[in-house]
Amino acid sequence: MERTGDETRLSPEEGWRTIQATMEEARSSMYVAGTATILLLWGHIISLGYLAEYALDTALADFRDDNAWVSAPLWIALVVAGMAGSAIIGSRAGRTRAAGDAMRSAGIRMFLFWLSVALAAFLVPAAAGMWNPDEDPVNVARVAIGIVALGHVLFGIMYRLLIAAVGVGIAAAFYIPSYVAGDAALAVSAAATLLVVAAAYAWIRKSGVL
Amino acid sequence: MSTEAPEDAIVLDETIHQSTRLRIMTMLVSVPQSDRLAYGFIQQTLGLTGGNLTTHLRRLEQAGYLALTKEFVDARPRTWVQATPEGRRAFAGYLANLQRALNWQPAG
Repeated sequence: MERTGDETRLSPEEGWRTIQATMEEARSSMYVAGTATILLLWGHIISLGYLAEYALDTALADFRDDNAWVSAPLWIALVVAGMAGSAIIGSRAGRTRAAGDAMRSAGIRMFLFWLSVALAAFLVPAAAGMWNPDEDPVNVARVAIGIVALGHVLFGIMYRLLIAAVGVGIAAAFYIPSYVAGDAALAVSAAATLLVVAAAYAWIRKSGVL
Repeated sequence: MSTEAPEDAIVLDETIHQSTRLRIMTMLVSVPQSDRLAYGFIQQTLGLTGGNLTTHLRRLEQAGYLALTKEFVDARPRTWVQATPEGRRAFAGYLANLQRALNWQPAG
């Protein structure tokens, strides 16, 4: 059997395992196209939302008193912008990885997964009757952020554990300040969320994990 | 379960049956026939150096198992890699022989 110096001997079992592992890796690599940049985008969007809520609670408190419904359109606008931005980034990143049906299918699946997470973050509180002027907006956020974090954890378990860690970080960045930072909680959460996604982005770039 | 001697009946394609080339071919045949993968995507997914990947791509290209094309995407040059029909047939044959090798048991 002819062998050259650069070749690694494979047993049939190793060959079989190599095929399975490579197929899984190739598929998941398509699913995470553009994830680093998308995480950074969502970190900014969530932080912007927290800061806007913080402003509505403090400097713009009178405006909120007159317009108690303002949180809903604020977050809807942010999430729509985030989904559009994610779709553009994911599509561009996908085009640099593969051309054809497989990448297109992966992109559509990912878009639908995250669209489902975003819709659930709105619809679950709505179904629980929390979208009303008498409800404290922080309670809506507690449910919505939990769903968003769960989305990251589930996605991370399936494809890259780092994404699961980011989900836990996003949750911690919101929940811990909301219980310990008093009136400044949302401002602290905004900064903490940015820190989490910036750390994840730097780790991804350094390690090439995605 | 087969008891035939593997060296008589089971021949694994040596061009494919090598760790890096097997991984490259697996990536290429795991997408539809008309799909192409970017050189950089293969390199990143398999964690290879450019030189190592190029060496193995050339070997597979010489065997007629893949085709390399260069074009511009978003104003940047990009090299695309695509399994040829011959490469897909060779991989299917390799898989069949690998399956037989896995099922083979020595006589007695």
